[in-house]
Amino acid sequence: MELKKQIQALGEEAKKLISEAIDIEKLNQIRVEFLGKKGKLKNILKTLGKLSPEERKEIGQLANKIKEELEQLLKGRQEELKKKALEEELSKNKIDITLPPHWIEAGASHPVISTLIEISETFISMGFSVAEGPEVEKEEYNFDMLNIPKDHPARDMQDTFFLNNGDVLRTHTSPVQIRTMLKQKPPIAVIAPGRVYRKDADPTHSPMFHQIEGLLVDENVTFRDLKGILKVFLETTFGKDIPIRFRPSYFPFTEPSAEVDIGCTVCGGKGCRVCKGTGWLEILGCGMVDPNVFKAVDIDPDKYTGFAFGLGVERIAMLKYRITDIRLLFTGDLRFNHQFKGIR
Amino acid sequence: MRVPYSWIKEFVDVDKTVEEVVERLNETGIEATYEKWGEYIPNIITVKIISVEKHPERDKLFVCKATDGNREYQIITGADNVKENTVAILAKEGAVIQGVEIKRRKFGSLESEGMFLSLEELGLAESSEGILLLPEDTPIGEDANKILGLGEDYIIEIEITPNRGDALSVRGLAREIGAIFGIKRKEKFPVISIAEEEEPQIEVLTNKCHRYRGIIIRNIHIKPSPWDIQLKLLKSGQNPINNVVDITNYILLQEGQPLHAFDLDKIKGKIIVRHAKEGEKIKTLDGEERQLKEGDLIIADEEKPIAIAGIIGGDNTKVDENTKNVLLEAAVFDNIQVRKTAKRLAISTDSSYRFERGVDIENLPNAQDKALELIEKTANGKITGDKDIYLKPYIPKEIKLREKTTERILGVFISRKEAKEFLNRLEIPTEETDDGTISKIPAFRALDLEREIDLVEEVGRLKGLNTFKETYPKVSTQNFRKSEEFLFEVRTRDFFKDNGLDEVVTYTFVSEEIFEILGIPVPKIQIQNYLVKTQKVMRDNLAVSLIGVLQENIRHQIKDVSIFEISSTFFEKHEEIRAGVLLTGEFIKGFSYSQEEKTFNTTEKWDFLKAKGLIHSYLVSIGMKDIDYRPSDKPYLNPYESADIYIENQYVGYIGKIHPEKADKLEIPKDTWIGELKLRYVPRDIKEDNLKDGYLYTFYIQKKTPVYKELPKFPAVKRDLAFEVDASLDVNKLLSKLKAASKFITKVELFDIYFLNKERKSVAASVEFRAEDRSLSDEEVNAEVEKILEKLKKEISNLKLRS
Repeated sequence: MELKKQIQALGEEAKKLISEAIDIEKLNQIRVEFLGKKGKLKNILKTLGKLSPEERKEIGQLANKIKEELEQLLKGRQEELKKKALEEELSKNKIDITLPPHWIEAGASHPVISTLIEISETFISMGFSVAEGPEVEKEEYNFDMLNIPKDHPARDMQDTFFLNNGDVLRTHTSPVQIRTMLKQKPPIAVIAPGRVYRKDADPTHSPMFHQIEGLLVDENVTFRDLKGILKVFLETTFGKDIPIRFRPSYFPFTEPSAEVDIGCTVCGGKGCRVCKGTGWLEILGCGMVDPNVFKAVDIDPDKYTGFAFGLGVERIAMLKYRITDIRLLFTGDLRFNHQFKGIR
Repeated sequence: MRVPYSWIKEFVDVDKTVEEVVERLNETGIEATYEKWGEYIPNIITVKIISVEKHPERDKLFVCKATDGNREYQIITGADNVKENTVAILAKEGAVIQGVEIKRRKFGSLESEGMFLSLEELGLAESSEGILLLPEDTPIGEDANKILGLGEDYIIEIEITPNRGDALSVRGLAREIGAIFGIKRKEKFPVISIAEEEEPQIEVLTNKCHRYRGIIIRNIHIKPSPWDIQLKLLKSGQNPINNVVDITNYILLQEGQPLHAFDLDKIKGKIIVRHAKEGEKIKTLDGEERQLKEGDLIIADEEKPIAIAGIIGGDNTKVDENTKNVLLEAAVFDNIQVRKTAKRLAISTDSSYRFERGVDIENLPNAQDKALELIEKTANGKITGDKDIYLKPYIPKEIKLREKTTERILGVFISRKEAKEFLNRLEIPTEETDDGTISKIPAFRALDLEREIDLVEEVGRLKGLNTFKETYPKVSTQNFRKSEEFLFEVRTRDFFKDNGLDEVVTYTFVSEEIFEILGIPVPKIQIQNYLVKTQKVMRDNLAVSLIGVLQENIRHQIKDVSIFEISSTFFEKHEEIRAGVLLTGEFIKGFSYSQEEKTFNTTEKWDFLKAKGLIHSYLVSIGMKDIDYRPSDKPYLNPYESADIYIENQYVGYIGKIHPEKADKLEIPKDTWIGELKLRYVPRDIKEDNLKDGYLYTFYIQKKTPVYKELPKFPAVKRDLAFEVDASLDVNKLLSKLKAASKFITKVELFDIYFLNKERKSVAASVEFRAEDRSLSDEEVNAEVEKILEKLKKEISNLKLRS
């Protein structure tokens, strides 16, 4: 059958052209040339009328098959070419992904504020609330009501800045204890982070620094509870097995009072310059709230007991980041500050 | 206080190593460290100085001849206390002093065969003046190591808390060590004889002198003290002077009882203990002229003040080399009065330090008698009379300590038996009772132990705080309060940090000068006893501090400074937490690449709108609405590039460019933007609330929670409208009037500003119209635009629609 061969040859020719086509335009031409209304396949089929019904059926089926095949091929080739074209288009715009970013570089945290927030968050997670007070404070709250009477040598423990309005710059965050207990009756569980001031300036003392005060007042609070809370806090901050030592001390507003040391984080307790060879670092002061303080704020010391603690934030930050001169913290020298990106 | 361990051992038979003693002292409440008393040094001997002459060629040097009994040495020294007929310590050739070997050395044409040593060079003091001179009768040619006991003793350095005056003496420290280890203290009591030939004339006219005992000693010989006393003083860090003065110092160190020796012959009439009269004057032993105030406690004779009681003696009655007769005072003065006067006069002496912390009134005669015994022995004096005025003898206070109190406070049960044992060890006479113990508080602890709780501390510290097992309390949440203020500040901090600003912390006290430069009033609250003038004024804004940070960074050639601080500012009745920003130089870094133009753009610098954008974005991030920017008239800002910020018509801060004149004066870039936001109000008055109008925190706390509104059902219609207006018109005025001009307008977005000429500009905005209940037709919108235009023309002069 002549026609059959013709159709098959046509199919072969078209297939070859499709596979060789290099763009979509060419493909469209091929489609028109072979499959179009006036295309080659249609032209051949026009001669079908001369054939017998059997032959017509056979040829018709063959033509349809070839037509389908070609359409499939055209579609496939078209997609290939599209992809290729897109790839070419995209690769032309290839970007050097190693270029520096166009960005707003996130700012640096201040190590003291970072430490202050982290410690505060620890206590907030334990159920403490944050309390606050002003930095310009009445002597009454800063001293007298904390059982530090006038003309008592205990006032020398903290060198005070006196202001021309008769107040002082608070020497510790402890007056927030007084302010809190005047406003709220037990149970009390607060911390008071904030700036405090002492007339003192050298590589380890700054006239302005930060403290965090803690106060827990309830029925049946004991010194052992104080030890428990501080152990949790110190282990959270310095690691699970940090050695802790309580040394009896004296603060007028707590009794008994203690200073807490941790094993030196620099030398691991062997003795070094940072711990002055003792293997211990003084980290905070604490104690049981003195009954005189409770009396001053009208809380019954026979019913309630409580503990308080105060820690120096700079001290902890300096240990953590091995900062050797406290004054660096407050100049704003960005060569220093930029070393603390990405901390809390 | 420095205490030789050997001295302590005279009072308690402690067989522990010094290390152990020091560790236990720390664990029971006395901060202590120790060091060795020197180290063995070869080739150092005692020599007698025979002659001292000036070096013929060298100005400040002396040429000395010294002998060790066998041979003579020529020694050249620069020490100007070098004296003939004294004994010095000579480092011969081969001695190693502070790491340097001693060799013969020429000074000009003369050679020195070694050097005389000072305490510092011997390694016995951190600093010292002149060479160490020993008494005349010191054997010469001896190994100086032996004489000084180098390497054979330890010095314990203690620091006591203000409540532990009782431990401020060798005797007191021995008592404490005895208590810690459970060893009974020992003591040798003095034996003296008082001739009772005369009675000192003493009158006490004040109740601030609790006891006064005066003793007359006649015919004394003032000379250097025996070497063992001198050595103990040297070890304790004191310089020996003469026998009488040394003995008073010695007893103060050993007993904690200050003593004062007056030259009896310089006292006119009787001794009077009284309060000073306003304006009375006295020249004290340190050579200073002191002005007294009414109330100061003094010792006077019938004519004049002769000592400031308990603090310092007067020059007019001081013991010198010619003194023959002495009145030796031992007294106890009121601790508060001593402190008041010492504070005011800014004098702190070993004596005032002890009186302020309490002196054992009951040990006074014992201490004074020990001094007398030594004076009899070393100054050959004769005790001729005494008088002891002690009107209200000490009555021990009785304090009960209940077992249940100890347990309630410490969480640890300490039995009455054990408590009694601890307290008795501390020499506090204690007996058991039904529910605990009862103690009679001795005079040496009278100021410290006044209440039951004080005894809880005593038994607790002797039991050992480190022995208590931790318990973990339940923190009651009954009064829990969300820490909104704290969280708000953290949130604010995170915003500025995440937006590229570095956090700084600055001193809240600044100089007066910066306010003058900025042209704003110097704040009223100031530190009276400031450390330096630049840290005097409590700031009332953050700009003054942030500018300082910029200046600091410019000194280090850092030009891109984008910083913020959240901190306090100070006002007469309150404090304000503010957020401050300072922005200069680049803030967006690196390259931005444009595909179409195939170009790279570099960094971006701060300008007004970017700075405003930062602040604005923060305000939006905390939910602020109705934010308004109005021209600012702050004298340190450029009036044409600065805005005050208002929320709901309340001033909350500013953002603006530094005034160019100020920038010049401050030597900072003119392209510097400064902003401050009033975050929170912190009242000083305890009755006042912290939620005050005009603070972001107040808006933040009081703002309405957004409530979900159904999404629009009908589409919006957009129109671009361009207006021609006067060039001087504030664009925001036009935009806000436009927004308010129709109830159908849901959004107005500025997209173009174009200056047509000097007087006129075109402002184009994309306007969104929407009705809730239907789709708006073109005709409706056109009609609405007409209405809007009519309205705007009335509100804004010379307005025209351009399209």
